[in-house]
Amino acid sequence: MKEQHKNTKAKKYGMVIDLDKCTGCGACMAACMAENNVPFKKDESNKLDSITWMRVYSLTNGKKFPEADICYIPRPCMHCEAHNGHAPCVSVCPAVATDYNHETGIVSQIYTRCFGCRYCMAACPYHARYFNWWDPVWPDGMEKYLSPNVSPRMRGVVEKCSFCFHRHQLAMNKAYVEGRRELEEDEYQTSCTQACPAGAIVFGDLNNPGHAVNQIAKPDHKHGGRPMNPHAFRLLERLGTNPKVYYLSSREWVRRAGDNYIKDEGKQGNH
Amino acid sequence: MKVCRRSFLSLIIGGAAGTVLSPLPLKLMDDSSIWSQAWPWTPVPEDGEVSHVGSICTLCPGGCGITVRKVNDRAIKIEGMKGHPVNNGGICVLGLSGLQLLYGPTRVKTPLKRVGARGEGRWEKISWDEAIAEVVKKLGELREKGKSHTVACISGTDRGTVAQLLGRFLTVYGSPNFIRIPSIQDSYELTMHLMQGVQASAGFDVENADFVLSFGSGLIEGWGSPVRMIKANSKWKERGKVVQIESRLSNTAAKADKWVPINPGTEAALALAIANVIIQKSLYNADFVKNYSSGFEEFKQMVLNEFSPDDVSGITGVSASTIESLAKGFAGSSKPLAVCGRGHGETPGSLNEFMAVHALNALVGNIGKKGGVWTVPDPDYIKWPEVEMDRTAANGMHKARIDGAGSKRYPDTRYLLDRLPNAINSGKEYPVEALFVAGANPVYTIPDSKAVKEAFNKVPFVVSFSSYMDETAVNSDLILPNHVFLERYEDVPTPVGLQKPIIGLSKPVVKPQFNTKHLGDVILLMAKSFGGQIAKAFPWDSYEVCLKETLGNKWDKLINDGFWADSNFRPVVWGGAFNTPSKKFEFVNKGKAESIKIEGDEKAYPLILMPYDSMRLASGFIGDPPFVIKTVEDTVLKGKEIVVEVNPRSARGFREGDQAILSTPKGIVKVRVHHFNGIMPGLVALPRGLGHTAYDEYLADKGINFNELIGPVEDPVSGLNAAWGIRAKLTRA
Amino acid sequence: MSTLDDKSEETVEQVETTKSPEKEQKNRACGIILIFFVIGLVGSLAVGWLIFPKLLYSQKKQPVDFNHVVHAAAVEDGCESCHYFREDGSFSGVPKLAQCVGCHEEAQGENPEELKFVEEYVTKGNEVPWLVYSRQPDCVFFSHASHIKMGKVDCVTCHGHIGESTHSRVYEENRLTGYSRDIWGKNLAGLKKNTWDRMKMDDCAECHAELKAKGETVTTLPWPINWMPRPYEKPASSQVRVNIQKDACFVCHK
Repeated sequence: MKEQHKNTKAKKYGMVIDLDKCTGCGACMAACMAENNVPFKKDESNKLDSITWMRVYSLTNGKKFPEADICYIPRPCMHCEAHNGHAPCVSVCPAVATDYNHETGIVSQIYTRCFGCRYCMAACPYHARYFNWWDPVWPDGMEKYLSPNVSPRMRGVVEKCSFCFHRHQLAMNKAYVEGRRELEEDEYQTSCTQACPAGAIVFGDLNNPGHAVNQIAKPDHKHGGRPMNPHAFRLLERLGTNPKVYYLSSREWVRRAGDNYIKDEGKQGNH
Repeated sequence: MKVCRRSFLSLIIGGAAGTVLSPLPLKLMDDSSIWSQAWPWTPVPEDGEVSHVGSICTLCPGGCGITVRKVNDRAIKIEGMKGHPVNNGGICVLGLSGLQLLYGPTRVKTPLKRVGARGEGRWEKISWDEAIAEVVKKLGELREKGKSHTVACISGTDRGTVAQLLGRFLTVYGSPNFIRIPSIQDSYELTMHLMQGVQASAGFDVENADFVLSFGSGLIEGWGSPVRMIKANSKWKERGKVVQIESRLSNTAAKADKWVPINPGTEAALALAIANVIIQKSLYNADFVKNYSSGFEEFKQMVLNEFSPDDVSGITGVSASTIESLAKGFAGSSKPLAVCGRGHGETPGSLNEFMAVHALNALVGNIGKKGGVWTVPDPDYIKWPEVEMDRTAANGMHKARIDGAGSKRYPDTRYLLDRLPNAINSGKEYPVEALFVAGANPVYTIPDSKAVKEAFNKVPFVVSFSSYMDETAVNSDLILPNHVFLERYEDVPTPVGLQKPIIGLSKPVVKPQFNTKHLGDVILLMAKSFGGQIAKAFPWDSYEVCLKETLGNKWDKLINDGFWADSNFRPVVWGGAFNTPSKKFEFVNKGKAESIKIEGDEKAYPLILMPYDSMRLASGFIGDPPFVIKTVEDTVLKGKEIVVEVNPRSARGFREGDQAILSTPKGIVKVRVHHFNGIMPGLVALPRGLGHTAYDEYLADKGINFNELIGPVEDPVSGLNAAWGIRAKLTRA
Repeated sequence: MSTLDDKSEETVEQVETTKSPEKEQKNRACGIILIFFVIGLVGSLAVGWLIFPKLLYSQKKQPVDFNHVVHAAAVEDGCESCHYFREDGSFSGVPKLAQCVGCHEEAQGENPEELKFVEEYVTKGNEVPWLVYSRQPDCVFFSHASHIKMGKVDCVTCHGHIGESTHSRVYEENRLTGYSRDIWGKNLAGLKKNTWDRMKMDDCAECHAELKAKGETVTTLPWPINWMPRPYEKPASSQVRVNIQKDACFVCHK
């Protein structure tokens, strides 16, 4: 794929999530679950085994009433590039069930290769990976709404956000039938992006200066993808995972909450 | 020849050699690994042709357009409809989970008749003919005894053809008791009626407002049309300011530009104090006030005398300087908008509060202006011939309503459902002999659950039209299940809070999955069974015929686009907008502007319990499907236990996660405690939407129903439920 | 001296005669071991090559015996008349009943299979439960568009000469996996004469795998079968094009 398409540059699909607009409504979580045949249990209050590829965390500024403040952070898989595709989870998988694709920047997860050692879960600093402790159960006819575009998983495998790659596959199908190889920005959008009522999530090609994600986040590809937009930040930037999900916030405490600092360590962690 | 051990061994070795040289081991290994990857209980969804069907989601009054993606006959994903005037492609967490309601185990699959005691959950399957015949028989008996007025119907809405068919049936049958479920719509309608003299809804031009002053409204938590409001919020982030006045750091307060923590229940006082500053500093719209309003002088006197910022700051806990800056900010903006109605807007609230807030809108002259409050006339596309009542019906219609709406005490209020349990239990009014429930779940949603259950037990015949086995259905005698919204045609008129009238068309996305029947068709069949004047009032063969005729030439656009909007609609200019006796906006002052007192003695119950609403907990007639309850945080629900929020300062020895007993004058429950710095000390907050006892195992028996802990508090002027909280205490478990 | 000599000769003779029966026995025992070895060898070879496939595969018939030649002659666009691309780029696969009903509302001829088709399926409105030879597991995403429209691959390359068949051949279903014998291949050793004889991941990878020799692709077939010379030509168009590296799993999997 690489050598053939010398005319087409490699893509780097990523996201920008505007935390000022995010209302914490959880629509992105439900959209992802509905799109990707994510299972559900009777009791989902134990968040350690609740499978939510997209999860909305709530951060607080730690101050007392009435200075308290909350911010909601939707967290999909970061599709870390790290150094040349050596994402933490990819580096440790003994079965090559997960791999970093240089053409699209997406970290794939192949359920049929995974044998559930969960090493990748330990490696992922974002807790973006989830394990199927049990076989999924779709009660009483609910399996009728399952999408044929995503394989339902059995117990014993790890799953995670795939940036709705099946939508990329289907969009490419349409492109091929029309005789082209390039996709327009709106032809491949993830389910969470599409559903977000606030329009807080933007998805596209970070390498393409015409795409909104590039224009908003202004990733500096020479410096590990750090965002040049002063309001933008990435989670755990300093781990060097080079994640593809950028966040925007006008509140400084939120930007600082995105990484771990020693007390009084220099402000503006992304510079 | 001796067959010995060696021969046996050589047989084995030969066999092994041959096996290795055959494909058997490799093939068997490969096949076994494939077999172990494909257990029969892991579904393999069938592929096929993809199609899209446009419709409207009716899981809440928001009325969002949806596009449903199908593979062959199966609906596989609900998405927001791009280009729809309400939501333009966005969709909420509940709408996204609609397929779990369509295909899930909570569905009532066929008409059911109760066997055993109410609430036992034992049912007999009956046919539609039997079910309708039984209803008609019971209703006929009541009619013959001259008791037609003892039939009541609780409906989720009074708009749209189905609700109007229900109402029409009651009228021609002879009962005045068509009761709509309560919400801030009641208060806003009353406010419009008293201050502007119109029978209309309040519409808010939120997309164009540049300063939103919200008195506790859950702007991004489900108030109004939820997705529309969240989209508007994104607009405000780009150019606009939002001020949230609330005792708790809700999501709306957190995302607002300014959060004004206020002592709960004092919002009306704050509104009038802001009015005080606006009037004192002459920041009001002089043209509107002088030429288009009446009663301003009395209003001005009351506000200046009783609601100075210094007076009010003590009551509300908001400093005088904040009050002044709020007033200046609000009145100084080009498109200010003040809204009220707490949380989702399910509790009607205090009329004084609504009128005080609407007075602010009047003072800045935003009525009917860009970014302001618009009057949206009731939909008028349903033009059916007048019903001709027979004598029984006319007699019945002359009786007083069972809920007291329209009575001498509450002459202007149209529906008072929260008064119904007391009306039935006290025995002072005539008894309710039959109760129909459509598009509502009153056993769960009406406050004071104990009184509600008691009232339901006193009604001998309860019929539910619910598609799901909700609490009301469980406590009924007959269930005549309606199609789910994805299986039926229905008109969906202007969603709550929208500033322009539109009609949406809900379309069948899939064939009816079970033996259910459209409520419209059930009403028509019942009417036909009765014959006489009742049947005459329903000249349509089927609901679909009725709908098509009613929508007339709008049908084609509705089928193609999914909605019809009046492109010529403009808000009425001030000169012609008001239909009060003075023909002007009236700064009405009904009764004393007191804050509503909540139940409970302060000494016995030192804390105040308040509900809070969230997008992730549906608290109306639909309960959370599995996807939505999954999104609920573990600081809200832990296992089966509900978690209450308490400020660490008033936690009094309860550590994070401790169990506690929460008591109010109405109920006692076990909870867990969560320390939250966003809530005012002295308050306890409990989420609405949990504590279901019906539906299915994914929702039932989790947490507590807030309505078990609180009862309605009648607003002195409107009679609507104005309870914003109740006194409470936390004791050791 | 003569008596002693006579005696020792006798004993020697005696010893010689007593040795031979044992030797014979030993020879016979060796023979038996060999025979058992051969029995074991031949038996297991027979089981592996002949009996095993019979046990493993069940012979199923298509619900209706379909004649491709007759139908191909009746349409204008060849395979694509009934197996077409939809506007959204997806492939229609095996036609649905609605397509057949276009002509077969009523029986067109005397053929008993057609009569059965009309009676059992058309009039009752039931979809025909065709058994699909090329059905791949759920984890596979195969894009017909990329292969036919972009790769210009011929239908025959993967599906064989099914278009020239007058009868539906027997569907041999693997009792363990549930898939057709076409996937592993008629030849139980996985050796193939034509490109369509086998359709597991490595067969797809053949066209895509210029980097295979460098060990950079992921395959499931072990050495040495991998490296055996192929008796067929790889389609010319495919040699120009695509390399699937090991990191592009999501292109073909879901």
